[in-house]
Amino acid sequence: MYVMGVESSCDETSVAIVKDGKTVLSNIVLSQIDIHKEYGGVVPEIASREHVKGISLVFDQAIIKAGVKYEDIDLVAVTEGPGLIGSLLIGVAAAKVVAMNYNIPIIGVHHITGHIYANNIEHELQFPCLALVVSGGHTELILMNGHFQFSKIGETADDAVGEAYDKVARVLNLPYPGGPMVDKLAQQGKDIYHFPRPMIDSKDYQFSFSGLKSHVINLHHNLCQRNETFEIADFCASFQEAVTDVLVRKTKAAATEYQVKQIIVAGGVAANKGLRSKINHEITEIPVCFPSMGYCTDNAAMIAVAGFFKYQTLKAADDYTINGNSRLEL
Amino acid sequence: MPQLSKTLVIDTATDYVFLSLVVEGSEIGYKYQNDLHNHAVTVMPMLDELLKKAQITLKDVNEIIVGIGPGSYTGVRIGVTIAKMIGYLNNISVKTVSTLALLASSSSAAKTMAMIDARRGNAFVACYQQEKGIMKETVADTLTNIEQFKQTLTIDTEIIRVGKPNVEKIMQSNLMKPVKNIHELVPNYLQVTEAERNKGKI
Ligand SMILES: [Zn+2]
Repeated sequence: MYVMGVESSCDETSVAIVKDGKTVLSNIVLSQIDIHKEYGGVVPEIASREHVKGISLVFDQAIIKAGVKYEDIDLVAVTEGPGLIGSLLIGVAAAKVVAMNYNIPIIGVHHITGHIYANNIEHELQFPCLALVVSGGHTELILMNGHFQFSKIGETADDAVGEAYDKVARVLNLPYPGGPMVDKLAQQGKDIYHFPRPMIDSKDYQFSFSGLKSHVINLHHNLCQRNETFEIADFCASFQEAVTDVLVRKTKAAATEYQVKQIIVAGGVAANKGLRSKINHEITEIPVCFPSMGYCTDNAAMIAVAGFFKYQTLKAADDYTINGNSRLEL
Repeated sequence: MPQLSKTLVIDTATDYVFLSLVVEGSEIGYKYQNDLHNHAVTVMPMLDELLKKAQITLKDVNEIIVGIGPGSYTGVRIGVTIAKMIGYLNNISVKTVSTLALLASSSSAAKTMAMIDARRGNAFVACYQQEKGIMKETVADTLTNIEQFKQTLTIDTEIIRVGKPNVEKIMQSNLMKPVKNIHELVPNYLQVTEAERNKGKI
């Protein structure tokens, strides 16, 4: 079964063709990162304009690279949310045209299920499975007892992990996108500040990163005011150690409680080297999977994979009224 | 039998969704509906209905005319994306036309000004003249303070804010522009984004 995936929820226009929910035949990603860099973050109106500009060419390249014809496609899967509404609408509109033009069923996919299913490209999911979803908009622990059975067992009460990274990076004057930069510098620094590990001892799987973020920002402010010298790398390392300690401790506890067969890490922050090494180091009794770097960031291959399993599970598609939904719930 | 010309007209840059099917120069069906800014949901089902009623499929369409704004940014992007994808998938001719020209075509007055609200006292406007059913542009699409602009108009100019486009009239005019490379088709927003404006100021 050939599934065409379409993703445009933020600042990447992407179309992919994936066979049987596993084999990626093409995965074209047109990134706008260089455009938004100048503004220190994604500008929604510019993102929407760029999606319209690039959309048809990305479809064309995905088809050519995959070496298939539109007539061969069995299902169109498109991100319906969450994300930037103006951006989502472009992918949804384009996907609907493909579906109508070739009379192919269309299915809407939740962006986070895409990140989760990105793992299936390289490691088949084993149930029960625990997913740690970490990105600019999400910090969640999700338990799966089978395909497309999601139960959220914990989430952040305030900032998402990636959001905290970006805000800390901004205060430290690191170039956009800040998260990967903090990770890079953290490798060269030491945890000398011992920032608080928020909620690390709570008996649930809830997270909170806003207090930690403020703590880091305040200390930076005080040091600057007192004209004290400090290493940015140490700041990054101290922040990263605190964040990853919490993430790993809670993931491990949840995996033990629910006796899962597999842990998967999903979302943009899954690319974080500090998180990868700490999880691999501290959780040895349960297999832990990460998507390879190219499938951590937003891409349409993961949407095609999720769409494939959603369609297999629900045995139903959507119709042409499918809409973008910036606050779609899992 | 030679293939009949089947033109699909799309404009979603205003409060209304406008879709029209023109076969050999005659409009055989249309949709013109204020859907309360729900274009993303309604356009494709409306298109489906329009095509089914005419007993043709999207693949039978051999020309697209698309309103590229100015107007609502979100709205115009939906219509342009749809037109762009249909044009690309089926490798057919796509022509663009100003949303204001479509609006003005609803009137048969000799002198018209079409306007779409752009907030804070501003509007997207353009002026047209009509003689023996042929429309000509006299003032090109512009974003302007509406009260000031109105003072430049002659008293016999009809102001048009809403109206079902007359596509046959548009197709007889030279107000359409062919799209050379479909991948380069984008809306005519008439202004850069606020972020870009602010960047220029710093
Ligand atoms: Zn994402």
